[in-house]
Amino acid sequence: METISRPVVVKRMPERMNLKQARKFWKEVQPFLNSDRPQVVFDMSLVRHIDAAGIDVLLQCMREAMKRDGDLKLAALSPQSAVVLELTRTGRLFEIYENSTAAVKSFSSFLPNALRQLEPQTSQGVVPMFTAQPVSSSDDGSGATLAA
Amino acid sequence: MDIRAILLVGGVAGEDALPPESIGGIPLAFMDVLGLPVIERVLRRLQRFGICATTVITDAPSTILPFTQRAEIDPRAPQLEVAGEELWDAAETTFRQYVSEGADLVIAMRLGPYVEVDYDEMIQHHLDKRCAISMAVDSQNATLELFVISPAGRFDARELFQSHLQRLRRECEPFPVKGYVNRLAQAADLRRLGLDGLLARNAMRPEAVEVKPGVFLGRGARIHRKARVVAPAFIGARGKVHAEALITRGSILEHHAEVDCGTVVENSTLLPFTRLGAGLDVMHSVVGFHRLAHLIRNTEVEITDAKLVDMVPISPVSRLAGSTAALFAFIPKQIYRGVRALSHRESSAADPECAEAGGSALNAPVLEAPASGVESSEFPSNLAVVRRYGDD
Repeated sequence: METISRPVVVKRMPERMNLKQARKFWKEVQPFLNSDRPQVVFDMSLVRHIDAAGIDVLLQCMREAMKRDGDLKLAALSPQSAVVLELTRTGRLFEIYENSTAAVKSFSSFLPNALRQLEPQTSQGVVPMFTAQPVSSSDDGSGATLAA
Repeated sequence: MDIRAILLVGGVAGEDALPPESIGGIPLAFMDVLGLPVIERVLRRLQRFGICATTVITDAPSTILPFTQRAEIDPRAPQLEVAGEELWDAAETTFRQYVSEGADLVIAMRLGPYVEVDYDEMIQHHLDKRCAISMAVDSQNATLELFVISPAGRFDARELFQSHLQRLRRECEPFPVKGYVNRLAQAADLRRLGLDGLLARNAMRPEAVEVKPGVFLGRGARIHRKARVVAPAFIGARGKVHAEALITRGSILEHHAEVDCGTVVENSTLLPFTRLGAGLDVMHSVVGFHRLAHLIRNTEVEITDAKLVDMVPISPVSRLAGSTAALFAFIPKQIYRGVRALSHRESSAADPECAEAGGSALNAPVLEAPASGVESSEFPSNLAVVRRYGDD
């Protein structure tokens, strides 16, 4: 079976995700989500404040990604965002990873946890099945990164 | 014997970065635990031991006064003094005033730690050892910031207050406290204090009626019949639990706290005047004053979104106005819903095909046998449905 690796977009979320910022963020990520089978990772390490509007945008992004047979994963949750995701019961809807690299790698594996299980073997000298390398990055403040 | 007390709230001392002992700017000592502020419980305990002349001195801002107004328990009410930054000077002045008025002993304590000490024992210890100052310590010999001072030890008292209760001028025999101790340094301690009270591990008793074993309900508290409250639990005065909400694992809702529909409150404390939005999961947390302190993640988050965590108005007039407005909004909505439901029912009843099909469908056999011995040339349609789904 032939497998074609598609780009994974890593997008860093802003510090505040209130209504205004959430709208702005939605406009920024929409082009990525409108592609075929989008693979998106939101890095939430900077998020210090997120409200219902921010959560709503996350769900909207998830819906768009699923609609196009893609997936959206969250990475590097800040304590504040983790608390709000738990509070609003939305944390369970997303795959959450400790960092963006792990989230990007997970797109390459068949099962979401396959690579996590492989990690101890990797440290023992076993060559990993897939490696994620950054292809290009857009450092225009948007924080979006492409990895294949 | 004339024994008086000085209670200090705030004045967090020490060179280390000690926790601020407050949530949302309100000192934990002024927070309600099982229906009464901690400070009020301390004052009651002092009164039980015959110590009624008390001065409470705080460095908290005067904006917290609405929360302290309930701390009045006796005609000989304690004097509340908001000293601001001059907390320790005010304490020293009060001590001198008590001595000049002829007090035999002065108890000085900081809240700070909540200590269930036997004051009779401690005073007896102080008299037996003939010290100028006696200090209460816990099982690990750490200070509990509770002292008994003789009038003769005014220089010792001065040194003590100037050093923010951290240093003594002379060595003294420490008094080990055998009772319950809670450092009350952070939100987790406040939660533990309430839970220990609920589980009868300390002398705190809920200021409420036990409606079921382990379920305490304050005056005017309302629980929707579709809500579920699992013991042990405490719903404070005027608390509200809406439909489909779940209060479980020793959760505590202080007065005027409100939990909206479908929200789960598990192993958490809701501080006074806190309103939780609908459909939330609040676990291992202390919530109030637009803040959520997560006890497992050890983090405090500010939540300004009223859909998630909001405050019930503190003023009774504002609450009444809010309730009236909600009622006036609710009645037309219900009338509209009723009319809409009625018209919907009429329209479905007006459709004769629907009604007929529904009636005949109930009486009809699942598979119709041919009327005569002659097989029908046409394949029965209902059999086709069985073939399609049954794959047989």
